[in-house]
Amino acid sequence: MALHHVESVVHPATLEEAWAEKERRGKTARLVGGGIDVVLYSPSTVSTLIDLKALGLSRIRETATGIAIGATATMTEAIESPALKAYAGGFLVRVLREVASPLQRNLATIGGTIGSAHPWSDVIPALLVLDAKLAVYDGEERTIPLQAYLEGRRGEASPIICTIDLPSDSASSRGTLASFTRTGFDVALLNVACCGRVAGGTWEDVRIAIGGTPGLAARQGAAEDALIGNPATSGTIAAAANAAAGAIDARDDLRASAEYRRTLARVLVERCLTEIVSGTEGGAG
Amino acid sequence: MTITLTINGKARGVDAAAGETLLEVLRREGFVGVKSGCESGDCGACAVLMNGRAVNSCLVLAATADGAEIVTVEGLADGDRLHPLQEAFLDEGAVQCGYCTPGMLISAADLLSRNPNPTDEEVREAISGNLCRCTGYTKQVSAIQQAAKRMRGGDDD
Repeated sequence: MALHHVESVVHPATLEEAWAEKERRGKTARLVGGGIDVVLYSPSTVSTLIDLKALGLSRIRETATGIAIGATATMTEAIESPALKAYAGGFLVRVLREVASPLQRNLATIGGTIGSAHPWSDVIPALLVLDAKLAVYDGEERTIPLQAYLEGRRGEASPIICTIDLPSDSASSRGTLASFTRTGFDVALLNVACCGRVAGGTWEDVRIAIGGTPGLAARQGAAEDALIGNPATSGTIAAAANAAAGAIDARDDLRASAEYRRTLARVLVERCLTEIVSGTEGGAG
Repeated sequence: MTITLTINGKARGVDAAAGETLLEVLRREGFVGVKSGCESGDCGACAVLMNGRAVNSCLVLAATADGAEIVTVEGLADGDRLHPLQEAFLDEGAVQCGYCTPGMLISAADLLSRNPNPTDEEVREAISGNLCRCTGYTKQVSAIQQAAKRMRGGDDD
């Protein structure tokens, strides 16, 4: 239904113009990619929308250092990208195929999903474990880790996301996501993403992220440290799962208790890591 | 503001308030085959093709669709000649109350435009954003497969 609080929509042609609009209008402006989040959740204080689609940021391309996903590329475009289908065993593509419906995925952008930063997002933990970095613009271009963007995004000072950069280091890793929902249409009570590589029976590399705690997804450094360089056995996996479950900022809300979330975290981390070791990862949910 | 939309092949200037959705604008312009259901992107009754892709028009602000090519269910038929999907929905009895049908047809049209020979699983995935409260989706899947077969030039069985 109509957003009566929205008074104007601007279509800047350059990043400089877009940032200048954002700076000038402060909290009354909202950046728009696909626009879903704006339609469903924008607060009544937002009176101007800054449409980013004219900035030419929708390409997905292979670069010298990995893959750069344009911030306004849709989820469908990412799913159909040959480069992403081949990257990390198609992990990100599998995750995206489980998000929302095709009708919504044709609208939703990868940058918009990150900018919305919903705690229940299944895409954000997947990008965290792929070690994604963001090329951003806030008067100057720079690159920051996704985790740093998420930690710093509160308030209107959040930069414009230009591309989501996936490193070539993760291309040969394998990833899996376990998103625990009550129904197929529901958002996650808690989700776990893991991505890693086992060589000669040893964890060469591993990253773990947990979201919906009910806070925003975050990497689990202690659990990762418990694995890297150690044998990929059920014992080390169980220890890492316990470490992750103990480290998350689990809280009660109307959807689940903190205790339930910790139990979910332990079970799902163990399940994801086991799938990576056994090579049976392949489902996103 | 005035935006330009090409709706079912015809370019037109359309008045739209900044906060109006594409759904609201299309229905006001007379394209009432675009149904207003949940208005939150869940039911798919409002689906239209935007630049060749099926989207929830309730989730699109009209101002951000300026310059887009839109196809509504009214634009699927070629004059008096129904689209093969519409024919197949009639032949297979894939319509009960009919409220979901326009959106279902649009999602199916998007699918068949890029995958002329889908599996049943791919058909079900393609219409997974279109809720039908009357049926169990079986007849819609069958109708879409029937249409795909006819569009590929296969025999009607």
